[in-house]
Amino acid sequence: MANIAVQRIKRELKEVLNSDEVARCSIHVELVGESFAELKGEIAGPPDTPYEGARFQLEIKIPETYPFNPPKVRFVTKIWHPNVSSVTGAICLDILKHQWAAAMTLRTVLLSLQALLASPEPDDPQDAVVARQCKDKPQIFHLTAQHWANAYAGGPSINTDYENKIRRLKDLGVTEMNARASLSSCDWDLERATEQIFS
Amino acid sequence: MAVDEESDTSPRNSTGGENTENKRNEGRGEEERAFECNICLDTAKDAVISMCGHLFCWPCLHQWLETRPNRQSCPVCKAAISRDKVIPLYGRGGSKEDPREKLPPRPQGQRTEPENTGAFSNFGFDGGFQMSFGIGAFPFGLFASTFNFGDPVIRGHGAHGTNPANLEDERFLSQLFLWVAILFIFWLLVA
Repeated sequence: MANIAVQRIKRELKEVLNSDEVARCSIHVELVGESFAELKGEIAGPPDTPYEGARFQLEIKIPETYPFNPPKVRFVTKIWHPNVSSVTGAICLDILKHQWAAAMTLRTVLLSLQALLASPEPDDPQDAVVARQCKDKPQIFHLTAQHWANAYAGGPSINTDYENKIRRLKDLGVTEMNARASLSSCDWDLERATEQIFS
Repeated sequence: MAVDEESDTSPRNSTGGENTENKRNEGRGEEERAFECNICLDTAKDAVISMCGHLFCWPCLHQWLETRPNRQSCPVCKAAISRDKVIPLYGRGGSKEDPREKLPPRPQGQRTEPENTGAFSNFGFDGGFQMSFGIGAFPFGLFASTFNFGDPVIRGHGAHGTNPANLEDERFLSQLFLWVAILFIFWLLVA
């Protein structure tokens, strides 16, 4: 890996670990292995959002040409958000693509992702299904995002209605993850979800 | 690792325990950080500064500009930026070595001579007069106007004393040249 990239990552790790945000446990970064090419990030769900109280793991891959090109970041923790794929965790965020600037750091990227969680952009979606729900049925979107945060990211709110619907599908032999994905994309309409799965 | 280096160089003889040591490290860090390149985060080498005021190593900024030749923007504030519009910073101690000899050299600083305001009213008039002449006469015009543009600079230097006799001489000379020019054109027309 290029020397400048390694030097940068070393300095950035130091910066992140000394930052106020780490002190408040709002972001965290650590190395994966010895190579400085891959890191593990973690962000806390921002307050007053459906993600509040949850923690999301991120996979950060540092390209050879860092910091002249952006790091590749992906959600490892499943999340229901219009700008993150509910299947792969891929993120749609301009600063991770053409709007990247070399002075940005892991700290600013993680803070930007936190800001993205707080203000979704359904008009520039990564996940079209989530985006449509976010625009057309904001209340269901809120509950679904909250439910996913509880199921995958340690969020506090338990939605017994949604849990029950998932259990119904599980009784039919569907895995929990598939049941949750189908019900979420069908706005928790049990019949439509069943149809979608078994058609 | 950089973290280890930091703790190695931390002051050993502080008596206040870990807290003061940490604080001292941070304080020193901030002082140094003011002169860090915004790209490599190291102390800027071959430092250049953008018009928007952001500091970079020239090699780092050059590579950034090379990475996206079509959309050149400041890595910090995204203001428009170009290699012709950065200013090199020359500190007292030069860098010991430049391991990036293959890179194009850092752009030169731009230096303009202070303007001389001594003889403005005079050559303002002359210039206007000679210009209209230059446009009128086709082959000679080129010569006349070039000649005229060179002239005031010399005059500007000499006119500090503002010798009236000198000015008189020059006016006479320009009249003379004008007549020579008219004669020349006449000769051209006849021949």
